[in-house]
Amino acid sequence: MSDRAPRAHEVELIVNGRRVLAPASRTLASVLRDDLDLTAAKVACGRGECGACTVLVDGRPTMSCVTAVALVRGPVETLEALAEEVTDLREEFADAGAFQCGFCTPGQLVHAAALARRADELVAEDDLPGVVRDRLSGNICRCTGYQAITGAVCAVLARRAGAEVPS
Amino acid sequence: MSYIGARVRPIDWESRTRGEIRFTADLSSPDHLHAAVLRSPHAYAEIRSLDVSRAERLPGVRAVITHADFPAGITYVHRGAPLSDRPPLADGVVRHVGQEVAAVAADTPEIARAALRAIRVRYRVRPAALTPREALRPGATRLHERVTDEANVAVLLRTDWGDVAAGEAAGEVVVEGDYVYPSVSHACMEPNTTLAAWNEAEQKVELWTSTQAPWFIAKEVSHLLGIPHDHVICREVAVGGGFGAKSKASEHEVLAAALSRKAGRPVLLALSREEEFGANKPRHRFETHLRTSADADGTIRLFDADILVDNGSYNHMGSSVMRVGVITLGSMYRPDGARFASRLVDTATQPGGQFRGYGTPQVSLAVESQVDDLAHRLGLDPLEMRLRNVGPEHATTLCGYAVTTSRLADCLVAVRDGLDWDARRAEHRTLRADRGLGVAAGMHGSGAYAYEQANRSDAAIDLFDDGRVRVRHGSADAGTGQNTILAQIAASELGVDLADVEVLSMDSERTPFELGAWSSRGTHMTGSSVGLAARELADQVRSLAAAKLGAVSVTLRDGKAVGETGEVDLGDLVGLSDEARDGCLSHEVSYVLEGTEMISPDKDRFNLSPTYAYAAHGALVEVDRRTGKVSVLDYVAAHDVGRALNPTAVEGQVAGGAAMGLGAALGEELVREGGRIVNTSYLHYALPRSADLPSIRPVIVNGEDADGPYGAKSVGEMSIIPPGAAVANAVYDAVGVRITELPITPDKVVTALAEQEGRVRRHHVWRRPGRWWVAGIRMLYPLGLHHVLHRWGTRWGRGVGAPGSVPAAPPRILRPDTAAALTAAVADGAQAVGGGTDALVERERQPRPAPVLVSTIGVPSMRRIVAEEGRLRIGAAVTLAELEESLPPELAYVAAAVRSIASPQIRNSATVGGNLAQEKRCWFFRNGFPCYKRNGATSPCYAVEGDHRFQHAAIDGHRCQAVTPSDLGTVLQAADAEVVLLRAVGSRRIPLAELYDGPGELALAAGEIIAEVVVPLPGPGRRGSFHKLALYQGDFATASAAVTAEVAPDGTWSDVRIILGAMAPTPWRASATARALDGTQPTTDGVRRLLDRELDRHAHPLANNGWKLDAVAGLVEHAVDDLLER
Repeated sequence: MSDRAPRAHEVELIVNGRRVLAPASRTLASVLRDDLDLTAAKVACGRGECGACTVLVDGRPTMSCVTAVALVRGPVETLEALAEEVTDLREEFADAGAFQCGFCTPGQLVHAAALARRADELVAEDDLPGVVRDRLSGNICRCTGYQAITGAVCAVLARRAGAEVPS
Repeated sequence: MSYIGARVRPIDWESRTRGEIRFTADLSSPDHLHAAVLRSPHAYAEIRSLDVSRAERLPGVRAVITHADFPAGITYVHRGAPLSDRPPLADGVVRHVGQEVAAVAADTPEIARAALRAIRVRYRVRPAALTPREALRPGATRLHERVTDEANVAVLLRTDWGDVAAGEAAGEVVVEGDYVYPSVSHACMEPNTTLAAWNEAEQKVELWTSTQAPWFIAKEVSHLLGIPHDHVICREVAVGGGFGAKSKASEHEVLAAALSRKAGRPVLLALSREEEFGANKPRHRFETHLRTSADADGTIRLFDADILVDNGSYNHMGSSVMRVGVITLGSMYRPDGARFASRLVDTATQPGGQFRGYGTPQVSLAVESQVDDLAHRLGLDPLEMRLRNVGPEHATTLCGYAVTTSRLADCLVAVRDGLDWDARRAEHRTLRADRGLGVAAGMHGSGAYAYEQANRSDAAIDLFDDGRVRVRHGSADAGTGQNTILAQIAASELGVDLADVEVLSMDSERTPFELGAWSSRGTHMTGSSVGLAARELADQVRSLAAAKLGAVSVTLRDGKAVGETGEVDLGDLVGLSDEARDGCLSHEVSYVLEGTEMISPDKDRFNLSPTYAYAAHGALVEVDRRTGKVSVLDYVAAHDVGRALNPTAVEGQVAGGAAMGLGAALGEELVREGGRIVNTSYLHYALPRSADLPSIRPVIVNGEDADGPYGAKSVGEMSIIPPGAAVANAVYDAVGVRITELPITPDKVVTALAEQEGRVRRHHVWRRPGRWWVAGIRMLYPLGLHHVLHRWGTRWGRGVGAPGSVPAAPPRILRPDTAAALTAAVADGAQAVGGGTDALVERERQPRPAPVLVSTIGVPSMRRIVAEEGRLRIGAAVTLAELEESLPPELAYVAAAVRSIASPQIRNSATVGGNLAQEKRCWFFRNGFPCYKRNGATSPCYAVEGDHRFQHAAIDGHRCQAVTPSDLGTVLQAADAEVVLLRAVGSRRIPLAELYDGPGELALAAGEIIAEVVVPLPGPGRRGSFHKLALYQGDFATASAAVTAEVAPDGTWSDVRIILGAMAPTPWRASATARALDGTQPTTDGVRRLLDRELDRHAHPLANNGWKLDAVAGLVEHAVDDLLER
């Protein structure tokens, strides 16, 4: 699939480091899930309103369910490829009770991965939990009340930045 | 070691956090078909004819089913005759919008959707009641024949508990009032989904389905398909949240199964988010009239209630939800008596279902509000009042509960300590800050004996010869942590490492009898059965080890059996048992709970549950008097759960339930228009986002209940009960207004405060001839105009979603890299978009969406932000995130506005141009109503008669009441921005104020696009501020205000801009106020007075959105405060 040249109305994407050809008018979420069997990203609303489909595009958290393949502007990373990078986040999520059903968790972790890459900058902010809550407000969780997610992300950001863990 | 009480990780944490665990929609099955459901567009109608032949003939359609595919007259069993009334597909009559009429299975989702449109249904629409009060009116259409004497009353409970006469006589202080807890949606993150695979040879069906209770799915599906119960085989699959929604069969399970049987192929039926909100079974709305009396000591003496429960159109679980709800009156406190009459009322709306808390949060709102009112009347501290009324332990309550342990008093004390209750209350009184504290208490059982055999749970444990252990149970862990807790129990009893325990749940063939995870019964029932199985297996293993080792006493630890003579690996003992098969020693048990009583119609008191859990929640809130916004600043949730088997999991249930309860307290509500749910999207459903919630502090008041497994009671439902009243009580404490109907949204608070402060607005429309026409039309709407336009006018429209119309093909999407190619494409008829995040969603509802979209994001010149000649030139394709990051400090108020838009993810894709150009904001328009703007001139504006409290214009509304949603459109006008418009030949620059000529409608010439926004860089004296009132973080503005001015060193203002957003069809300029401020040194009060005068002169609010004028004036006050501050 990836060795040939793109046909009309096809676009070349880089997904988790791999070259992929995909129809330009499809959504990124459907290409990931249906064509590439990368099912970590979930489709829970299909309208870009809940964050369950979050993937990184060019390092930025993006709603893949409302992103047309034609408008993807950079390499795509999904949780499948990010899992190792965020081992600390995943462990902290598990310890803190930051997921229950786990349906929104891939989106939360992908978004948190982007925050963790900016740990130094974010930890320098006055109100880290407030910043994390703001940043993660596009990722709905119906189970946890966000409490444990916020705590886990703050703990990992602080640890990565070599700062003290906020209580 | 023992894992009981340990904070262990969820056993499947690795696969869940890697995204590897498969939910039903993730299952790979290359040959499965896609299903879609045809739903009724009418609240109540006869089906005159139903013709599916055209749909069946469409290429790629493999099966179409209607009621004719089921046995005649069959209904879901649910609570049994005479309550069973709901057919699997509409049988001649539809009784709610969204009722399932037919279902199709096809090769692709697109073909399935096209097939729905090819089905011809002729309805004869009938009037029917949409609310309980309408349904109880004399002459209201009867939706069903019921067994009660009253029309449209499915069940009537009328009971006296205890000594009502004594309570009546002893009451010295009486409070009375009406309380409404609305219908709210579970909004589980995983939409309900079923994959069904029919096996024709064996006449069996396998189901992978999102459920909390596979047994009940098998019960209903087998009944409806006419096959034996054990021919419906549920398989284990991850379940993405339940909260009760998935604890009984909905419709997708049997529809998928029936389609698979007919098509001979596996069928996947996944509900859309719109279907989840619009057609699933939400919490029952309760209207509770309550009278409570107490004596002078603050002892509650009597509860007297009259309750209406909105059943919806069919008996789903309404009868038992109402039963559990009224129990609230006789369970927690100890009045002399309680009296109630409660009616389960049929309305032509979607049936209510099971929802965490199950009737208790609804009645609790009334009870706990009145306990507070009594405390205030008696001059008692509300928390102290509750302490005086806590019922005793080991006693029977009025409702028949045999309470075991209760640490409610300790929970109340934990709230008092946790919130620093006494000191803070004293401080609030001195400072007169609009902050308040509220408390509410609650109780809930640990599994109700609601069905035959609900007092039984079977479980099995396997010990493999490699030492691994497997727990098998037939319940389902939808996120509660049940599987982990059961693994902890098995590991502890068998002395093995938790990592060596796996859990198999749900599977109908491989797990023994178990009714599932509902009614907070998981920990008690399966905890008991798994504990019993593990203990008995441990005994067997110890006997085997004793024989092998020749030891007298054997203990199990570290995966070994250890005797005084030596030790042996557990796995090595398997082969020694005669009962072992294939290297596995299995043990299965049946746990039967004694001492509880089953719900039955002939009794009104039952001991439903083995133990009862308690909680007290305390909230610290701040009320913004200017905007009505209630913010929860601190929240303590103290719970008596007996012993917490896994404190992390318990705290998760507490915080999660409290958050959900806070959502219902402050924002969530399913809004209906003509029986149809309006807010069928997360966008329009104000459930809390992360930034909306405080830090919720769970407190486990650790105890031990001898009647629960390992001392545990329940927690799952308890946590959602107190938040509603806790917040209402805190709001009362803060500002002295008592809100009795949830959610406590800003409109209610502002309206109550206006009344408290004696503020009234008068708009004198009769003096304004320009508004007479609009006023006249609005007057005609309720007099029949709305009905005529809706019923008949919409038929002449463009056919939004009408049967027969073909779903739009996916668009071609172009991304040219030059402005010339872009404008050429637009000139050819392509729709210009930025990131496409709004356009792709909107086109689903457009009657004729553009076949070609062309994006600005590939054009380098439009991706730049350039500062030159004192101006900032912002390319239209700059994303909102990039804009926020690039704005200079003097435009910080613009950055603040950008940060309030949507979510960070959307801001990473959405562009400046796209934000300015986004479609109008109206929940009728955006959720597919065939409104005037969508469907054409003969269609109504649904906002006139519908719920327009938040989203619609209060100034200048005309035929359409929608507003321009763009916050940039508001804030950049205050920054004096201009817009550069480009077309194939030439460009022009216009003030931003001239960009809009209607709500979200651009004054562009043909072929024109937004190319650039030009913002003057403000000098040092220019100040600005933006404030926005929204229902949740990232929502569109309910109202917004941007204020900028030149502020001289002496405080004199000049060149003032006051722009109000979401108040009028386009951003509205308060020019008179701005002019009046020129050359003055304003005060906040002075600006408010000027603005109020101007608003009163120009506004023409709808019936229920006049409050927005107060709110937006409040936002301007905040902004003026900011300008005065520096």
